[in-house]
Amino acid sequence: MIVSFKLNGELVEVDVPPNMTLLDVLRRKLGILSVKRGCERGECGACTVLINGDPVCSCLVLAPQAEGKEIITLEYLSKNGEIHPIQEAFIEAGAIQCGFCTPGFILTAYALLKRNPNPTIDEIKKALEGNLCRCTGYIKIIEAIQLAAKKLQRYSR
Amino acid sequence: MIPLSEDPFYLIEKWLKAKEFLVIGKSIQRIDAFEKVTGKAKFMEDYVLPNMVYVKLVLSSEPHARIKAIDVGRALKIRGVVGVLTAKDIPGENQVGYALPDQPLLAEGKVRYAGEPIALVAAEEPEIAFEASLAIKIDYEPLPPLLDPLEAMKRTDVLVHDERGSNIAFTTRVRKGDVTEGFRVADVIVKNEYRTQHQEHAYLETEGALAIPEIGGRITIISCAQYPHLAQAITARVLGIPASRIRIVQPYIGGGFGGKDDMGPLVAAKAALAAYKIGRPALLIYSREESMKSHCKREASIIRYKSGATKEGKLTAIEVEIIMDTGAYANRGPFILWRATMHASGPYEVPNAKVDGYCVYTNKVYQGSFRGFGNPDVQFAAEAQMDELANKLGMDPVEFRLKNILRPGSLTITSQLLDHSVGIAEALEIVAQRASWKEKRALYSKMKGRFRRGIGVACAWHGISTSRGVPDWSNAFIKIEKDGSIHVFTGIVEIGQGSPTTSHVQIVSEVLGVPVNYINMYFGTSDAPDTGATHASRGTSIGAIGVLVAAAKLRERLNKLAAELLECRPEEVIVRNGKAFVKGREEKYIMWKDLIKEAYARGIEMSATGFFFLPKGTFDHEKGQGFAYPAYSYIVNIAEVEVDIETGIVRVLRMWPALASGRIINPLAVEGQIEGAIAQGMGLALMEKVEFDERGVVINANFTDYVVPTIMDMPKVEKPVYVEDLFKYGPFGAKGVGEMALIPTPAAIANAVTHAIGIRVTELPLTPEKVYFLIRKRKMKG
Repeated sequence: MIVSFKLNGELVEVDVPPNMTLLDVLRRKLGILSVKRGCERGECGACTVLINGDPVCSCLVLAPQAEGKEIITLEYLSKNGEIHPIQEAFIEAGAIQCGFCTPGFILTAYALLKRNPNPTIDEIKKALEGNLCRCTGYIKIIEAIQLAAKKLQRYSR
Repeated sequence: MIPLSEDPFYLIEKWLKAKEFLVIGKSIQRIDAFEKVTGKAKFMEDYVLPNMVYVKLVLSSEPHARIKAIDVGRALKIRGVVGVLTAKDIPGENQVGYALPDQPLLAEGKVRYAGEPIALVAAEEPEIAFEASLAIKIDYEPLPPLLDPLEAMKRTDVLVHDERGSNIAFTTRVRKGDVTEGFRVADVIVKNEYRTQHQEHAYLETEGALAIPEIGGRITIISCAQYPHLAQAITARVLGIPASRIRIVQPYIGGGFGGKDDMGPLVAAKAALAAYKIGRPALLIYSREESMKSHCKREASIIRYKSGATKEGKLTAIEVEIIMDTGAYANRGPFILWRATMHASGPYEVPNAKVDGYCVYTNKVYQGSFRGFGNPDVQFAAEAQMDELANKLGMDPVEFRLKNILRPGSLTITSQLLDHSVGIAEALEIVAQRASWKEKRALYSKMKGRFRRGIGVACAWHGISTSRGVPDWSNAFIKIEKDGSIHVFTGIVEIGQGSPTTSHVQIVSEVLGVPVNYINMYFGTSDAPDTGATHASRGTSIGAIGVLVAAAKLRERLNKLAAELLECRPEEVIVRNGKAFVKGREEKYIMWKDLIKEAYARGIEMSATGFFFLPKGTFDHEKGQGFAYPAYSYIVNIAEVEVDIETGIVRVLRMWPALASGRIINPLAVEGQIEGAIAQGMGLALMEKVEFDERGVVINANFTDYVVPTIMDMPKVEKPVYVEDLFKYGPFGAKGVGEMALIPTPAAIANAVTHAIGIRVTELPLTPEKVYFLIRKRKMKG
């Protein structure tokens, strides 16, 4: 079946089997490789994308459910070698180790900071509790999001 | 005779003595960070080839059974299926055991655990491969499964490996002094049995490999291993072709923690078998369920521990029995048991010791490498014993530990003399003060009400490098291109820890005096000289010696050349920020690029290898005495917890780590290792456990039923205390960090929980249920 949606601001149309997950559509049909396959059960958050602004596990979404939606992947955040303040913050805070969970964390943080530009530590934790990281112990990720919030406030001023 | 300028011992010592640093000890950013935050970093599954086939595993449903027949007929008829491979299709040896020759790549004749790989199905699409995997019929003749290691040890009527004649795969021992005499002179004796459980690695990226047939009959494997040269060797053995025909390339790895050290080569060999037989690129990726059911786990152990001390607080003797459930295969179980045995005392001096270890087969998924490698279990037991002894003596646990702790000049449990690099006493003293240990210990001892706090301490030690006289070495190849840019080849893998992407870059940058952006790291590949594995906390220690030595050789040549050009002595040449100049006279300089150009013009070789073979001592296996490891890394963790005595829920509130592991090359990266290891250790302490049903089938092979710590569970982790007790052969004195903070974490948390509830915990994980019943038991006792 033909499914069309907006991907990172551009309209795309794909011919896919109706039982294909959005994760596979993105990876196998559209070559969006920042979306990682971690568990295929919605438990780890590595395949997080934003659907109409909300973080969603793309392994739990079937292709037809994406019809007409606005989908954002990590590719959207950096343009022409310029990276987003959240990405800068992840680098500076040392919030990256193996990097496999990183796209999901950054997108979830992006959605959080859009909604709540100045989150408390507890609000950060609540927003990211669905993303698993097995390397960092999360501490530098929390610090990165606090740093990102500061950066974004500085830019918006 | 090697000239000094090329002698690794001379060069290691020379740079060990450096006093001022350009980049060593600084938190430089990872060179892979930009790729990783933009989603451009390539992992195995991101290599997509147009003509590839998708490989799917067929796993055993039975824990213990003879394979009477495998019917692949129906699967082969499915449209899009390209091939089905079983043990009989293996052209070389179907033998992949690391410690003992007991493990097939694909089951042959018999299956020994539910989840054991039996066949591979290759198809045009993953969905077709999946469908075909279900169409393969295996006719089993069930055998009684052995699930309890204590039972398996005694039974000979049922054998997991018939040809071995016993279910005890391997034994270890230590005999030091006279334990009977040691216990006779003891004023207090403590005896307990401790149990730890199987832990799942839960790396976010599952196992996988992409094997690509190349020209000349070669096969390139995009692999997720922790040791490219081992993946190469195992694959070559399975295919029956020379190792030089196998090329291992490793992209970024989505976490390893030891699991991919064991699994990487086995998965690479499976993908390679499919590619070799089918003649097309073959991609094998484990689903999460396949990964959790079939890949190795942290050992479950039973530790019986007796220890004694005098009323002055000196340890007199320990007697320890360690039984590890190695599951269906020895895999690295014997090495894990060996490490646990040789660390059984904890980092303390004990004059008399008797330790016996047993590695026992059962019909469960096999035991394997996992951060800490047998040591977290045994330190959990040893540190509980230390607290119980202190308790009986009426001594403060920190004070009691300080009376027995290893110091320079101490003899270890294997009677090895520690002549240098022993900084744990200082680490313990400093961190106890930072944590306000004495005050909190006193305060929490008197707490009443529903929420009780406790504070616990645990020390640990971890021998670096391979054990005993087992050869260990380092190597690397560095070439400086004509434009002055630098190409570094190492076999050390980037699994998230950052060795090749931070510390190796820093070492090369420091030694050559060039900015980090001159350096291009080519890591985790069999194209590099064999560097040994990325395990045992060795990536930045032993693993990086090669990088240091190769860079130092080039620096010696360049110093000599620069001295000629600048008319000074070689030792007066300073290279900094890509500029060579005369010490104290910065106006006399030559730019790096011009210096390299000159070297090429004069025929000075601008490439070097950094081979270093680690000197070791001898070991008596009968007594378990002698040289165990070239040096030890040390760590102390203090944990503060709160226990809800109504529900048994434990929350870890704060952790204070203190590390004595030589030079800290990149503090930010080290903090990351410590924090991540604390999270994993906390998982082991509180919540993680692989559960088996009555047939030995893993029943929680997903992240809903197997719970790992989330961001909600994390305590505050204080900035680490560093005692830089330099190791004479380490690059700039580094000893190794990766595993360290995990090792004492379960012990520290367990000791803190014990402090909070006033009853000794002896079994992990400390689930609410377990803690609740412990508290109830005490209440009932009044």
